[in-house]
Amino acid sequence: MLDKILEVLATLRPEVDFTENHHLIDDGILDSFDIVTLVGELNDAFDIEIGVEDLLPENFNSPAAMLRLIERLQS
Amino acid sequence: MGFTSAAFFAFTLLVAGIYFLFPKKNRWAVLLAASYLYYFLTSGSLLLLLIATTLITFLTALWLDFINRQFDQTKTAGVEELSREQKKAAAAQVKRKKQLVLAIGLAAVLGILAFLKYFNFFATNFNVLLAALSVPAAIPKFNLLLPLGISFYTFQSAGYLIDVFRGKIQADRNPFKFALFVSFFPQIVQGPISRYSQLAHQLYEGHSLDYDRIKFGAQLVLWGLFKKMVIADRAAVIVNTIFNGQNQYEGFTVFFGAMLYTLQIYGDFSGGIDVARGIAQIFGIDLVNNFARPLFATSIEDFWRRWHITLSSWMRDYVFYPLSLSRLFVRMGRFFRRTLGASIGKLMPTFTAMVITFLLVGIWHGANWKFVAYGMYNGLLIGLGILFGPQVSRLAEKLGFTPGRGFTRGLQILGTFVLVCFGRYFSRAASFMAALRLLDRTFSSFNPQVIIDGSLLNLGLDGKELIVLLIAIVILLTADYLQEKGIALRERLSRQVLPLRWLVYLMAIFAVLIFGVYGINFNASSFIYMGF
Repeated sequence: MLDKILEVLATLRPEVDFTENHHLIDDGILDSFDIVTLVGELNDAFDIEIGVEDLLPENFNSPAAMLRLIERLQS
Repeated sequence: MGFTSAAFFAFTLLVAGIYFLFPKKNRWAVLLAASYLYYFLTSGSLLLLLIATTLITFLTALWLDFINRQFDQTKTAGVEELSREQKKAAAAQVKRKKQLVLAIGLAAVLGILAFLKYFNFFATNFNVLLAALSVPAAIPKFNLLLPLGISFYTFQSAGYLIDVFRGKIQADRNPFKFALFVSFFPQIVQGPISRYSQLAHQLYEGHSLDYDRIKFGAQLVLWGLFKKMVIADRAAVIVNTIFNGQNQYEGFTVFFGAMLYTLQIYGDFSGGIDVARGIAQIFGIDLVNNFARPLFATSIEDFWRRWHITLSSWMRDYVFYPLSLSRLFVRMGRFFRRTLGASIGKLMPTFTAMVITFLLVGIWHGANWKFVAYGMYNGLLIGLGILFGPQVSRLAEKLGFTPGRGFTRGLQILGTFVLVCFGRYFSRAASFMAALRLLDRTFSSFNPQVIIDGSLLNLGLDGKELIVLLIAIVILLTADYLQEKGIALRERLSRQVLPLRWLVYLMAIFAVLIFGVYGINFNASSFIYMGF
């Protein structure tokens, strides 16, 4: 599942090393446009519905954080 | 009692004195009393409208909280008996109920703002439409007074409601403490628009007297006054000459006016925010920063991440995100992907949401077509950046440029500044048509010779005044540049030897006293954003 997330991220921003970075939002690496596109892709890829209330920095700061969010929404 | 008046500083000193005399647990009450007194002194009976917004917001949030808790109780009570579908249906029902309550609260709070600020604009334009259709009727117009800071405190209240709705925070249980959150006097005039989770607890807990905080706070106030009174109010003289004139200026002179207005409004607004933040800091309260060196932005998108940050982040969290993630926009994305192809189609919902968001940013400033144009101008530039930015970057790299670095970064900053200045034609000109006329006159003549032939000295400031303005701007840009490089100026200054420190302080104080622009009764002019 993590691989799939990394795949989505790689198509979104090929130049960023997502395995290294754990402050994607706090450091401004992903901006609001990236987030909106990313949410759309993750919704499609994992058949979930990420809501506005889930758009918190702690849910998107790293691929691991995104994985936790997706798992929570799937259960 | 404006932010730059002696009366305001006397008031603040008095409040600070009383604040630190009170027991810690009651200090918030001093701030509330001071805030309401301040509002009453500046706005009189319009205080009632502030109270109305506060009460509506407070009660709606409690109602939302009540629904949340009721739902939590049923969840824990009968969780075994319910099937997955039943649980889902119950959750959906609660959500609908909460949406209805939120809608009622927002309609009331935003309704007050909309009526007071936008009704006459709507009536005027509707009447023009009726007249054009030869309908012999007209909507009456009202003589409406706009309460101080209404756009700021309304947005702060609405943000609080939505945060409670989303479950991000719990509703406040104390109406008096909550009233302080809405009305805190340093920030009610022109923001920053704060979030409950960042500000409320700071206001409610009593802070001790702290020399460092008072020192840093006072420095920030002084720096704010410098930006407002030495730069903004001085630049205003030329700006007013050019923009209020009867179209006698053309070419570079008009653009010079727009450039100075860009610097004026930065000095004016960020100066006012620095005064507010400085005063709050003396009380031990950190107000969120509203600016991050906007003149060093490398694109219009970047500019809005650095300019009036609390408004743009409000718009992002409460308009742009919900809009982009709404069912309608998701469907729109699918439609455009089919019709325009994957790469552009995917971006279309973001583009549309962005343009709508910036339309609202424009209208937030005031009920006038020029602000609609100002919002659209910014929204479209950012939207174009979303659609074509990656291609332009790739092209630039092929041509040997490295976007974001060195010389190319300098070019980006310069280009962004020019685009920002052109946007300012709309926010400064008297009307939308006046802005178009000024744009037309800018391009109708090519006269760079005005820079050296002395024409710029006939715009209200003589040579000496212009040099003072220029030096002050260089100081501002230098400070911004150093901060952009990550240097904390106030901390760095506090590590210098005493004589040097005081030399800087005294120079700053005298700069404000001597070079500050004063009007009648030695009061500086009011702040531009006070009018929003």
